Amino acid sequence: METTKTDKMLKDFFSERKQEIADNGFTQRVMRKLPEQPDRAWIVWIFTAIGMAISIYLGINSGLIQTILMYMEHISIYYLLAGIFCFPLVGSIGMYFAQNRNF
Amino acid sequence: MSNTDDIRWVTQLTLLGDKSAFDKLTCKYQSPIRRFFLNLTVGDAPLSDDLAQETFIKAYLNINSFKGLSGFSTWLYRIAYNVFYDSARAQKHYEDINEQLIDSQYQMQNEFSVEKMDIYKALNILRKEEQTAVLLFYMEDKTHNEIAKIMNCPLGTVKTYILKGKEKLSVYLTQAGYGNNKN
Repeated sequence: METTKTDKMLKDFFSERKQEIADNGFTQRVMRKLPEQPDRAWIVWIFTAIGMAISIYLGINSGLIQTILMYMEHISIYYLLAGIFCFPLVGSIGMYFAQNRNF
Repeated sequence: MSNTDDIRWVTQLTLLGDKSAFDKLTCKYQSPIRRFFLNLTVGDAPLSDDLAQETFIKAYLNINSFKGLSGFSTWLYRIAYNVFYDSARAQKHYEDINEQLIDSQYQMQNEFSVEKMDIYKALNILRKEEQTAVLLFYMEDKTHNEIAKIMNCPLGTVKTYILKGKEKLSVYLTQAGYGNNKN
């Protein structure tokens, strides 16, 4: 009982004195002092290129790409255009939800 | 912002070398880390900023050693704790801290009123390990397990530090009339 009372008193004491410290350029000063490190964004491009090369190789070898092209010859140009325009639309919606998620 | 953000930013930094991810981490944690140092150095703002800066630079250089087993926050406090004790050992500064120093700092920073003064005086009656454990527990809302990881000591030792700190502070604050003023 006494412990709970003391705990509460200390919790109150420290929480009343808990201050948020404004950044005031601290982050910038830290960032300026960081040593330069090589940009490794090229790793993403290398893996993307390898992935695409494997997909195209498998697609051609299995005849999948030829089949798709054959089917596309019979599809109306309007359906094709609608399909192509869907990509940025779906992508934008996905990005919107990814950036505004609250969890 | 959640721990998921921390993991995402750490991944961006380690895999892609994306410095802007570290900018976000620094921005998120600058306040708690600077506050932690400010309390440990009994209000020495320039010193606590230097120590905080060193903490973030060390975190950046050793980011690959973060395995994600504990939260990023716990890992960062662990670095901060080491930075503080390395600095204290090197300078032998904190053993000399006494009432006079706290009073002089209070006079320099009297814009902050009596509230900050009494937290530094209260903390000064504790041993350094007790101060750290008490601050992490009561001020930074860390659990016993997290404090044990930060201070790299057994759970039982952390509980003892907090218990002893609590007893000393309880007596000090009661004598100072804190509890009475509240009720």
